[in-house]
Amino acid sequence: MELHQVRYFLAVASTLNFTRAAEMCNVTQPALTKGVQKLEQELGGELIYRERQLTHLTDLGKAVLPMLERALASTEAVRRRARQFQQKEVAPLTIGLAPSISASLVLEPIAEIRKFVPGLHVELREEPPSRLVELLLEGEINVALVGDLDDTPERIDDWALFAERYVAVLAPSHELADRPVIAMEALREATILDRSYCDVAPKFHRLFFPDAPPHHNHRSCRDLHLQHLAAAGFGIVLAPEHMPRLPSLKALPIEGDPVWREVRLLAVQGRRYSPALDAFVKVARLHDWSLHTGSPLQTKHHSHLEATGVSA
Amino acid sequence: MSDHLTRSLNQVRNELLAGLSDADRESYLFLVDWLRRTDVASHALQVGDTAPDFLLPDAHGRLHSSEHLRGEGPLVVSFYRGGWCPFCNAELRALQALKAEFDSLKANLVVLSPETRDLPRQLQRQLNLDLTMLADVDHGVAISYGVLFRVPDETKAHYAGQGYDFAHRHGSTEWMLPIPATFVIDQDGVVRGAFVEPDFTIRQEPSDILAELRQLPARSCQDRD
Repeated sequence: MELHQVRYFLAVASTLNFTRAAEMCNVTQPALTKGVQKLEQELGGELIYRERQLTHLTDLGKAVLPMLERALASTEAVRRRARQFQQKEVAPLTIGLAPSISASLVLEPIAEIRKFVPGLHVELREEPPSRLVELLLEGEINVALVGDLDDTPERIDDWALFAERYVAVLAPSHELADRPVIAMEALREATILDRSYCDVAPKFHRLFFPDAPPHHNHRSCRDLHLQHLAAAGFGIVLAPEHMPRLPSLKALPIEGDPVWREVRLLAVQGRRYSPALDAFVKVARLHDWSLHTGSPLQTKHHSHLEATGVSA
Repeated sequence: MSDHLTRSLNQVRNELLAGLSDADRESYLFLVDWLRRTDVASHALQVGDTAPDFLLPDAHGRLHSSEHLRGEGPLVVSFYRGGWCPFCNAELRALQALKAEFDSLKANLVVLSPETRDLPRQLQRQLNLDLTMLADVDHGVAISYGVLFRVPDETKAHYAGQGYDFAHRHGSTEWMLPIPATFVIDQDGVVRGAFVEPDFTIRQEPSDILAELRQLPARSCQDRD
């Protein structure tokens, strides 16, 4: 396929009108129609139902649309970056973080982007995952990192970045602190500090506390607050492994590593990607996240590399 | 001495083809025929075209800009399908075996695939490569170089049956692949060599790429004494 054919198709998809799409692309309508037809031939089916008043996308058209939008956004972002560089424009990037995601995760990707995107201005916002989805759709943030989500709207692109286990974080003076691992039974008897909007709380409850809720005396939506409470001996924080800890705390694995979650990257489909956003999404999808967790976790369910196969 | 210094890629190809199962052979012949019929390769950049610039992450998430890469010397861009493809792995090993010669010509060699996550890192470790392996995230570069195609349903069914999950590997539910292709680009961004072959088991011999580099004008390519 060719870039101009993709542009023509995306213009028709956004206008549902061949005449307006041709104007948008600055070509004649026959040229646009021919380009879309060639793309259809190559993709193996019609992308658009051509009806005078009811032009609309076919199922195939709907299926390939997000990927082609991303591919085009990626190529255009590179061109815009060069222009931005010449004009010394500010390049804002607003990253939403769920409460269980530390800003430490995005520091290296931001540092990498800053080398290539001059004028980068990063803003970090912490909100519950459902609110982050709203902010994405409203255009208030460009991208978000969240943990497990119940469901994401259709218009949201969603990439799993890595999986990580949850560990028990506690003060060295805690009665369970001298054990190599913490058994589930011991955890059931302990006081657990409650994390508001916790994406994995339901998993914990199902596993550890199916019959009775855990002992929760204290709660906060901020991990740092919970850590201070733990350091003062008020209980145990169940925390994702990547979360940086106060020096006065220690982290212990939970017997059998029963609780895992995926950290996911969210962005809005079909939006024009700024150079900063394009670079962030690309870097995030290749970054070595195991450096944050100490575990080679990324392809937990796809650990076999088929490089030695003989398939063609 | 490396095996790949004594055997051509074509010899390796013949050995790999001989080892294909009947089902693999059928799938291979179908896809090559489909690529020829749909004339996918005709979209590819040709000698004299200007190569679109790109900014892509490597296997470790570090960004590389094509402008910067060809600022140092000529640039060789080679598209491969993925770590699951034995013909791609043979090509990567062959390129690795002659990497010092690319370096001596001050040429930057980059290999691109649509694979994301930790797959390029795994492949780099597994094949012991120190090539610059870039991730063409969401296929933007493959489209702009004219080498991207949508995997036909018959081929998709075969690959899925082999356990290859492109949705996981590429981070996209639509199964797209590049035709393996190699482009030699001079310091002005002009394509000086283009090897695009619908039979994806046939790759450009690294020695032929080096020969093309040596033919570039002096500004782009100088042998070190």
